[in-house]
Amino acid sequence: MSGRRSGQSSEGTSSRISDDRIIELMSKLQQLLPEIRNRRSNKASASKVLQETCNYIRNLHKEVDDLSDRLSQLLSTIDADSPEAAIIRSLIM
Amino acid sequence: MSNTGSLKQEFLKKWIQGLKACSAKKKEMSIMERKKAIKLSADLAMASARNSTTYWSHTLMANALQANKNKFIVSDILGNDSDHGIKKSSMRVLATSHKNMRSKKILKKSCSISRRSKKKALGRCIARNLVNKRTQVLKRLVPGGEYMDDECLIKETLDYILSLRVQVDVMRHLANNATHAVSHTTTTS
Repeated sequence: MSGRRSGQSSEGTSSRISDDRIIELMSKLQQLLPEIRNRRSNKASASKVLQETCNYIRNLHKEVDDLSDRLSQLLSTIDADSPEAAIIRSLIM
Repeated sequence: MSNTGSLKQEFLKKWIQGLKACSAKKKEMSIMERKKAIKLSADLAMASARNSTTYWSHTLMANALQANKNKFIVSDILGNDSDHGIKKSSMRVLATSHKNMRSKKILKKSCSISRRSKKKALGRCIARNLVNKRTQVLKRLVPGGEYMDDECLIKETLDYILSLRVQVDVMRHLANNATHAVSHTTTTS
């Protein structure tokens, strides 16, 4: 993050203000990521935060995919009028 | 940030709505079809729980409306079609105007190079390029990301990650409980 801050001399005040904003948002993002949060140091670089974010989002996407798979298989093994279906229906209600 | 609990409830409500619409329409579905329907309902429920307050949710819904598959799920969860169509174009205009107003901070290459700080500046340039690359990847992952500027992108990413978490949580609970319930009945019957 320090690299971004020091290259600011040629820009005007407006970009400096939103630069702080970006740093603030980056730290919020960092708190969301499971890996970086577990480490004691909270000085992860911007590129590291972005990389972890991308990996995290990809993982979440994959999980949704796997869960949809699982649910579709589960639901397909259930007959419409069986007791299992009634249970699932009651879970959903 | 909104309350996770209420977001979960919103999501669950809409997702179930989509699932019911799905099973009402088609009695016999292949596993692939069913999986796609489940996933679509989940994504749409997640997006519509955000009520178009974010770009990513809006993009998701607009894309779903454009695609022709499983229209009954889409119309069931989203309701009025034309409304969203109009919103989509205005949102895109908004996003591109944001982009024009702010300079692309991450892409600028204003490394002041003097003899002493050449190495430092080079390091900074490399870091900046890396950040660029990673930002591009992130833009592809978040729906509607290509139209956003950096600050907007990060805000959207925050919201998107929270919603994805909610989605995964709820789906996982349902899957686990359903598996447990089914295995329980098969052992006792």
